[in-house]
Amino acid sequence: MAEGFNTDDMLDIYLFENGQLLEQLQEIVLEQKDAECFDEDSINEIFRTMHTIKGSSGIMMFDEITAVAHKLEDVFYFLRESHPDNVPHLELVEHVLSVEDFISGEMEKIRNGEPLDGDPAQLLEDLDRFLKRIKDGEVEKGSELPPENAHVEPKQFYIAPVSNKDSRFYKIYITFYPETEMSNVHAYKTVYALKEIAEDILYSPEDIISDPETSETILKEGFRILLQAQCDEAAIRELIGVGYDISKVDVYECKAEEFLQGFDFGEDQPLKVIDLESSVEDIEARKQTEEEGKEQEPKEAKPAKPAKPAIAPGDFVIQSKEPGKQKKLAKDKPKGEKASFISVDVRKMDQLMELIGELVISESVVLQNPDLKVPGLNLDNFTKAAVQLSKISTDLQNVIMSMRMVPLTNTFQKMNRIVFDVSRKLGKDIEFVMVGDSTEVDKNIIEHISDPLMHIVRNSVDHGIETKEERAESGKSAKGCITLSAKTEAGKVWISVTDDGKGLDREKIIAKARKQGILDENKPDSAYTDKEVYQFITLPGFSTNEQVTEYSGRGVGMDVVVQNLQAIGGALEIESTPGFGSTMSLKIPLTLAIIDGIVMEIGNSSFVMETGAIKEFVRVKEDMLIHEPSGEEYIMIRGDCFPVLRLGKWYGLQEYQESVEKGVMLIIEVDERKLCILVDRLVGEQEIVVKPIPSYIKRVKGLSGCTQLGDGSIALILDAAGLIEI
Amino acid sequence: MEERTNEKIKRIDEDQNTSDDMDTQKGKYMTFKSGNEYFGLEIQYIIEIIQLQAITAIPETEDYIKGLINLRGKVIPVVDVRLRFKQEPFEYDDRTCIIVISMKSMLIGLIVEKIAEVVEIREENILPPPIIGRDKGHNKYVYGIGKVGDSVKLLLDPDKLLNDEDLSVVEQANEMNNEEE
Repeated sequence: MAEGFNTDDMLDIYLFENGQLLEQLQEIVLEQKDAECFDEDSINEIFRTMHTIKGSSGIMMFDEITAVAHKLEDVFYFLRESHPDNVPHLELVEHVLSVEDFISGEMEKIRNGEPLDGDPAQLLEDLDRFLKRIKDGEVEKGSELPPENAHVEPKQFYIAPVSNKDSRFYKIYITFYPETEMSNVHAYKTVYALKEIAEDILYSPEDIISDPETSETILKEGFRILLQAQCDEAAIRELIGVGYDISKVDVYECKAEEFLQGFDFGEDQPLKVIDLESSVEDIEARKQTEEEGKEQEPKEAKPAKPAKPAIAPGDFVIQSKEPGKQKKLAKDKPKGEKASFISVDVRKMDQLMELIGELVISESVVLQNPDLKVPGLNLDNFTKAAVQLSKISTDLQNVIMSMRMVPLTNTFQKMNRIVFDVSRKLGKDIEFVMVGDSTEVDKNIIEHISDPLMHIVRNSVDHGIETKEERAESGKSAKGCITLSAKTEAGKVWISVTDDGKGLDREKIIAKARKQGILDENKPDSAYTDKEVYQFITLPGFSTNEQVTEYSGRGVGMDVVVQNLQAIGGALEIESTPGFGSTMSLKIPLTLAIIDGIVMEIGNSSFVMETGAIKEFVRVKEDMLIHEPSGEEYIMIRGDCFPVLRLGKWYGLQEYQESVEKGVMLIIEVDERKLCILVDRLVGEQEIVVKPIPSYIKRVKGLSGCTQLGDGSIALILDAAGLIEI
Repeated sequence: MEERTNEKIKRIDEDQNTSDDMDTQKGKYMTFKSGNEYFGLEIQYIIEIIQLQAITAIPETEDYIKGLINLRGKVIPVVDVRLRFKQEPFEYDDRTCIIVISMKSMLIGLIVEKIAEVVEIREENILPPPIIGRDKGHNKYVYGIGKVGDSVKLLLDPDKLLNDEDLSVVEQANEMNNEEE
């Protein structure tokens, strides 16, 4: 590898791009896993993906990844070329997924700086056998086999004595999509790929490796290569490959003299450019010289169909369209849509959000400036302008908020994959239904729910859904069903995993809980509600599955699920009907960063509480209070008795309202536990940006963070769940 | 193969080396007045000096932690230095300043009565603090006594000033929370 290469940047780009490619790959594969076979577009797409991964891994010298990607590429090359119709589709799907797993696994190791110890030998062998089998199937049927993927083995039959008589010279002109990042690296990737066949290679701009500035030049003027090699144009095109980065490849054969002249094409030899604009005469003339120049070259192959026999001159025009056609194909793909996205560092987004927050605050400082309160000022125009300004800043806030929201689609797709894998290994037939996967959730939250969701889905497949025999016995259809659904409700996202399996076994759970000494000895079993009983399975070390399987039964899992959820302020709810299945619902906040809050004051301190936690506000009379001798207070409201917390007194604030009749009571509810809180007065409802209390200050019970109010002052955020614990 | 990857990672780490500013800032101290004494803080810790602004008190914290201020969108805790030294509280006026310092990538504001000046104190002019039995508690924040002309400045170790015992409280609290979870 070249010296002075900026490998860190390259590694980042490598990991990022290949990660995206693999994600897309999985999406395609899972989309069509139940189909008869992959459609042509998908085959092309998978082929291209593997080709790109192979190329970039080659540059980075991750040989194992290259080898695996290459083998899968071979398989899809065969599929693409000979359209065999006896491919065991599910097996193919598994092969693709295991390759994807292998590569993602290795990439994860690269990311963590761990040694790459994955051994692809088994995988390669499987793929080989698979490829051989489908190929043999084809031969029996008498169809013609396409030649091996062009650059697998450098074409042996071209190898000639050292005299470069058979060498041919090419000028190659590559255009990248304008949005390609670090195109110099992509260009180098191409050069690297061509080196396999090149006897001599020159390229311009020359210093692509050391000078990142060249990427602009490449985007603007294209990337030019002079190549001396012994293969045909098709092989070169194959090596370069039109992918997500390269929009157009032009390959022109030239004479040795021209080759030696270096890079002067483009300007003084425009006639050489073969494209749709060129006249047919030009093309034919060129074809003539080409055919004179090479005796061994049997065919003017186009990249997609190298096996095609000789072509009449008129066809050539159509062939030169080929790259264009491929490009169009690529744009029909979701990939084309994705090109309109850019990836942004989350830190930059956070920074933007902070800045907008500050902007809003400075805005209110200006608009409510005391200088404006001078009597007798005519502020009509000012007010108009101010309204306009507020409107824009509100819009701005909404946009930045929506930018952080990501649909759950990807997460759901991952679950699809898990259901597929686990159910096949366990020999269960399961249909996976996704509902509401376009529900949007804050990016931070998505990162936190992926693991818990995985555990739950795995549990459903493993424990929830019965074996085929058991299902038949209980009169259910052999095919189990798992539904993953998402919805937004009351400022929370509900993600539920529903299975139509056997449901939770209350007796078994209770028995196990007794054994582990979780239950109160003196309490009868019936004293526990279903909900309480089901919650036991979330305790550490609690698993009712007698047999430990590969996927579950070790009693870790559910407690981790609950822990992860609590970390983001979420909760797990379990419902179950014996014999008919169970539903696990994750209740998570829509966003961590912004909540709807009620601003209130106690003395001269401001507090905020999440709107969702507040059930109602009430004005109460002194005689509604019940005082216990121990100093605790209760209040009767409409026949219900609630404990009372005087926040001002509790926190030792100054100048708080002593009389309940002058203050306001808030009834808050968390998990069906209620509490009344006395505050001095309400200020209003507002969307607030949650910020953590600096870690320097030790945790105070009942406070979950702080926020900036419109006037720039700081309010503390009350944590309803924490207050109820007090 | 493996080595190469590790090397890359290593190089990333090395890139985040510290800046060269250290040299130019060495030996310079920001001095401020608290009570009757002048104190000095090494200038490398100091981010900026701001006027006193509205402070949001936090319940259930030590009395010297006055609360939180909003520094252009960043929420930072502020500590009253005089209360921290267990001296008498003082009335805040328009000479009262907040020195924002950065400690272990954490921003903290110090409320001081009056900012004095930036002085350069050579190493040979810094004496270790005399250990006086009854005043041990105060001395632990002061790691040296700097002589500037005729006057002396008590040089503060911000790490000890803020964290010494507090940190252990915070850590304990965190540990307890972790256990709960």
